Amino acid sequence: MPSRTVVVTESVSSDVKIMNRGIVDIFPLALATVPWGILCGSLAITVGLTPLQAQLMSLLIFAGAAQLAALTIMGSVGSLSAMFSSTFVISSRHLLYSAVFREHVRKSPLGLRCTIAFFLTDEMFAVTCAYMEKHKSFSAVYALSSGITFYLIWNISTFAGIVAGQYIPNLEHLGLEFAIAATFIAIVIPSIKNRSTLVSVVSSGLSAIILSIFLEEYALIVATFIGMFCGYLTNDNQQNKEKSNE
Amino acid sequence: MNNFWLALLGMTCITFFCRFLFFSKTVSFELGPKVKRVLSYTAPSVMTAMWVPIVFLGHQDSSGDFITSPFLIAGMATVAFSLLMKNTLAVVVFGMGVFGLLKIFYNSIQSVLS
Repeated sequence: MPSRTVVVTESVSSDVKIMNRGIVDIFPLALATVPWGILCGSLAITVGLTPLQAQLMSLLIFAGAAQLAALTIMGSVGSLSAMFSSTFVISSRHLLYSAVFREHVRKSPLGLRCTIAFFLTDEMFAVTCAYMEKHKSFSAVYALSSGITFYLIWNISTFAGIVAGQYIPNLEHLGLEFAIAATFIAIVIPSIKNRSTLVSVVSSGLSAIILSIFLEEYALIVATFIGMFCGYLTNDNQQNKEKSNE
Repeated sequence: MNNFWLALLGMTCITFFCRFLFFSKTVSFELGPKVKRVLSYTAPSVMTAMWVPIVFLGHQDSSGDFITSPFLIAGMATVAFSLLMKNTLAVVVFGMGVFGLLKIFYNSIQSVLS
């Protein structure tokens, strides 16, 4: 009996350690999205949503880029098909994350699988992959603690944006819009490590400018597709070498 | 926005579907290497398609000039800084700082001139 208690306390304390690790690791990434969360909240008020509706978007959809794109569409034409298709295209990268984690979570009960899936974001995926690389094993405790931390900060910053949006008119003109640009630049530029990613970024950027002139609603989706396929069609040097060796 | 609740429900389902699909025990197919490669370009493409118009077309809303636009100057400064620093938070804070300073600078010039 005593030995069993020791084992239990040990595993609990190691779980607590992993949990703290997850919270500490995701914290800087979560803080970087605070301006973006504020923008999502205030922009939702600007396009005419109630505070409850604005908060529910962050509580339920929990996908910054998709929420922002949807709010922009709501503010202009507001067709459901444009909103749903852009949400799907923007979220399709999560299919990849889901496929990567698949083998680690498949044997878990349905409730745990649903919970991990709900909290799966770019940031949670990034830190959990780094953890997996370091410790050679997947940790549901780590994934959930980092994911939930991110969820809380995202929703608190949305709430701050809702409050600010009600009292400060045209908050987004104060430069919060630039916060999205700064956040995405900070994520995208360091991730360009090979030629194909560079080609995909340049082609989606150029087509986004050209398309936004005459394809307002669908510019984002079409530009994303162009970027994805240009990246796919570009051979990286390494692959070229492999091919010439064959 | 009359269809808000429908939009919220639909978007919640779509985002959850993408995150959960391969965790499901009934889904047995795997993503092929080609599909995985196409999907790996989604994140950089989406984000670029969102930030490039803000940086290069941001001047249109504020009726300013392209070359002196705070969006353009601060955007380029952020790109340069992101090449030097790997810390996401530091890059965002720096970019916002440059943007804020430019805004204050232009506003004070405007009030001096008028």
